[in-house]
Amino acid sequence: MAILEWTTLIVCGVVLLVRVPDAIQGRNRIVFGILLLATLCSFLSVPGPYEAIDRLLGGWNATDLIRRYLIFATVLLVGLRVTTGLAAVRGHRLVAGTTGRWALGLSCLAVAVTFFLMDTRGSSAGLLGVSDSGGRNAGLVPYYAAAGRTYPAFVSLFLMPPLLATVRSRLPRLVRIGALLMLIGALCAALSVPASLAPDAWDLAQYVVNYAAVLGYVLGLALFWFSGLMAQRPRSPRAALHGHGLHGHGLHRNGR
Amino acid sequence: MPLPAKAFQHWLHDVAPATSTADICRTSGIKRTTLAQQLVRGKVAETTLVSISRALQRSPLQELASFENYAELAGNTRPPTPAELVSQIATMDLLRAVIDRSDSAPGGPGADVPAAATPELSPAPHATSVRNWVDAIDDGELRHRVSAATGVAPQNYSAQLTANRLSPELAVATAREAGVGFTGGLVAAGLITEAEAGWPPGARQRALDGLSDGELAALAGERLQTLGKVLRRQEHEQAQTEKIWENLG
Repeated sequence: MAILEWTTLIVCGVVLLVRVPDAIQGRNRIVFGILLLATLCSFLSVPGPYEAIDRLLGGWNATDLIRRYLIFATVLLVGLRVTTGLAAVRGHRLVAGTTGRWALGLSCLAVAVTFFLMDTRGSSAGLLGVSDSGGRNAGLVPYYAAAGRTYPAFVSLFLMPPLLATVRSRLPRLVRIGALLMLIGALCAALSVPASLAPDAWDLAQYVVNYAAVLGYVLGLALFWFSGLMAQRPRSPRAALHGHGLHGHGLHRNGR
Repeated sequence: MPLPAKAFQHWLHDVAPATSTADICRTSGIKRTTLAQQLVRGKVAETTLVSISRALQRSPLQELASFENYAELAGNTRPPTPAELVSQIATMDLLRAVIDRSDSAPGGPGADVPAAATPELSPAPHATSVRNWVDAIDDGELRHRVSAATGVAPQNYSAQLTANRLSPELAVATAREAGVGFTGGLVAAGLITEAEAGWPPGARQRALDGLSDGELAALAGERLQTLGKVLRRQEHEQAQTEKIWENLG
């Protein structure tokens, strides 16, 4: 049983579904897109669906290559949105600027090169079957996996400082918990690169780190959304100036 | 430190021998579960004692002093200093006083008009009571001494001041280290009212009247500056939060 794969897929799917009404109203469709891509990627990492789709595509694991590129797209969108949302100017420049484009380009190239160097026939989720076929394939699969995790790790590294600053800030608690979950996701994404080159004995750790990264990011997004929803509910004003005898505005959400 | 449950139950038996716990809770507005929980944990909050004392028409201060860990409250009945009294006037009341004085100054806009009745000062405590009280009695080393004497880390003490909270225990310790009467901190912390502290009616107003124009203007200016900083920080945090919701929510 692929428990973590299914858990990730279900979590992504649920978060995606609760965001549907907002997406229909045109609110933050990019975040919806991120969740849609994340759901699709987790769907393609579950062995059953993966093998079914890959057979349709010819059975040479092109699905896995596509999945890697979809992950890159997701990570790019997450990087742009998070650095904008947290007003991390430097991080935004690194992700959106020349450095970020080179990192994305090189990662795409590295994934493609390692993929086409392998004999990838025989549908197998995560290319486990390919790895088991021995020879050159067995040596290349870890590098292929590492290449696929380089770009997410690169973006995650730049997201960590602003996320940490948010966790330590005095913003609303739910927002800070959301940032903490994302920070855990970013940490796992960064760790997944060295983990994919680790010896086989670390199998379980590799496996957990990969899915914890997705779960951290997706649950972080869910909590940001939820915190906004809570703040939007009418409640007694508790803004500073009330206590001082003047009038002020409580934290409330615009644009809805 | 909160009151030991055993001593509290003795006290309760002494002051209200014939009243059931349920009745005590009803008249004093304390939730029964809250009191039960405090008794089970062995620590009864000072606020519980104050509420019950009020319901029984007893002086919260005297009842508090009947406990061993607050016995020193009975010994020291020094009245608050003028600086302490002024610290318990809300910032907006201070600003109103500035305006009132300028209106009635010779040549001021309201010089010929008989002074309108100044509105009563809003009751203590106010939104920054705790910090203003500590500032009023601080000789520069007070916070360190309180930390050393109580073992409360300076940053925790500071956090309480910022949150406008002060545990009764720390309020007493602060007053002790500053060498002032014990009531100032208890009023600033909101545990007891001015009247319950034995402050004469109008004491704060008289302390305010005793300030020279220069002193009042400088004090109001300091308070306004602090308020401005707090509000600016809150506005900044609100803008940050809105930005997160706008982009990620």
